[in-house]
Amino acid sequence: MEYIYNLFKDWANAGYLPSIFEHAFMVRGLLAALIIGPLLGAVGTVVVTKKLSFFTQTIGNAAMSGVAIGLLLGEPADGTYAGLYGFCLIVALLMTFVKNRTHLANDTIIGVVLAQTLGLGIILMILVTSQFNIHQVEGILFGSLITLNDNDLIVLAVSALVVGILFACNFNRFMLASFNKTLAKARGLSPVFLEYLFVVLMTTVVVASLKLIGSLLVLVLIVVPAAGAQLISANLRCFVWLSVLFSTISTVVGLLLSGILPVPSGAVIAVVSSLLFYSALFLRPLLLRGGPNQGEV
Amino acid sequence: MTETAQPNLLEVKDLSVTLRGNRILERINLEVKKGHIHALTGPNGAGKTTLMRSIMGGMPHQGTIRFLFRESCRLGYVPQFLEFDHSVPITVFDFLFLMLKKVPVFLGRRRAMRERITQILTATNCAHLIDRSVGQLSGGEFRRVLLAQALEPKPELLLLDEPASNIDEVGIRQFEEMLVKLRDEHGITILMVSHSLDMITRVANRVTAINRSIFYDGSPDGLTHFDLQQQYKILG
Repeated sequence: MEYIYNLFKDWANAGYLPSIFEHAFMVRGLLAALIIGPLLGAVGTVVVTKKLSFFTQTIGNAAMSGVAIGLLLGEPADGTYAGLYGFCLIVALLMTFVKNRTHLANDTIIGVVLAQTLGLGIILMILVTSQFNIHQVEGILFGSLITLNDNDLIVLAVSALVVGILFACNFNRFMLASFNKTLAKARGLSPVFLEYLFVVLMTTVVVASLKLIGSLLVLVLIVVPAAGAQLISANLRCFVWLSVLFSTISTVVGLLLSGILPVPSGAVIAVVSSLLFYSALFLRPLLLRGGPNQGEV
Repeated sequence: MTETAQPNLLEVKDLSVTLRGNRILERINLEVKKGHIHALTGPNGAGKTTLMRSIMGGMPHQGTIRFLFRESCRLGYVPQFLEFDHSVPITVFDFLFLMLKKVPVFLGRRRAMRERITQILTATNCAHLIDRSVGQLSGGEFRRVLLAQALEPKPELLLLDEPASNIDEVGIRQFEEMLVKLRDEHGITILMVSHSLDMITRVANRVTAINRSIFYDGSPDGLTHFDLQQQYKILG
């Protein structure tokens, strides 16, 4: 990693890159943004289609409890991954199980779990640390570029690689099962299995991106780029690639701004992402002048 | 070949379905002959769609369902409704791509697939819809697209759930012609749910009328509007 940091430092000194890239944490942030941005953009298209936006928020909220459980398990404060992945996956699978076994609406189940996970997280955090450490809570909620270390980057890269491959291999199946379960079954697919698989992939990528974006704002990056892309896309190919583009621009520009301004990276990413969404909204009449979904884009 | 000489393609024996304590279907016995258009009819809530879903394997049931496939061993299915978010930007091309290819639709080679999908849509006279958004299709257009997807790869048994619903009279006649062509020229056996006795009389070889249990099973000519109306009264 030192080689990469030095390379960026040399480029920054030579004037090819902004001077903030003299700092290793900015290079780590940029690499993380380049890994997570495209992936969240692509995953977001299925999240929006399956109407799982607030499911994502629940996973983010569960992160607070996950961090506390990680600390209880004796994990270091800057790397509570067993607690995070373990608890968030349990919450995600539990919600999917309840949805498939009851007739409760998706938003009802999310409503029940959403508040519980955040409340439980705050209680556990105070009990574990014996004090209310606002900086620690702030880091989880809004993301912190400074605390991102090499291990986080490795976890992020490995998670993104596994999720990216499985997501791409199953994208058509996820979309078809979202469209109509009976039709998917007629094609030999198992919509229930696909739902569990997607939830696991989504949770994995959400947890991996928490340090950069924060649990409160991860929803923004997974939903807003896809929503903006949906507004101006004529077909699925365009939908996915535009969402990837919006998400990548949001993370990279947000990161650069957070390196200059004294604000959390997640908050700036959220604002940039929203600006792109409103741009798409205002450009929509121009881009889809022939009527939405006419021809290929 | 006479009707009795045709081999069975589907056999349903003593099929019963109970959902949340309610008996939806009661001891249904059904035989679908190879090369036939077999209609299922009956009042709303009679259990027709439940029977279709049981045959599809998506409904817990008692009794047995046997497929006696000899060729492709494949079921094609056209659902009654396809509820989806109409704001999702998915074209007819995308819709068929999702079902036919494993390569993700955003990475796939579109030119080669475009030719293949155009060919598939031509079978149901809807190749011109290839770039239209699925959410913007009329009921009749969407039915033809759904039928096209069900025919690729060629099924041995085609299940149609109310294929004539939300289609005007001209559209219904075109659809009937397509069904007869599929049966006579391509040898596809069809099991369809329909409320239209006129349509059943025009195209079906056999009809089974159910209202929780079977109340008629035989030639379409033997079933009258009066018989059906009597069942509607029982239900209503």
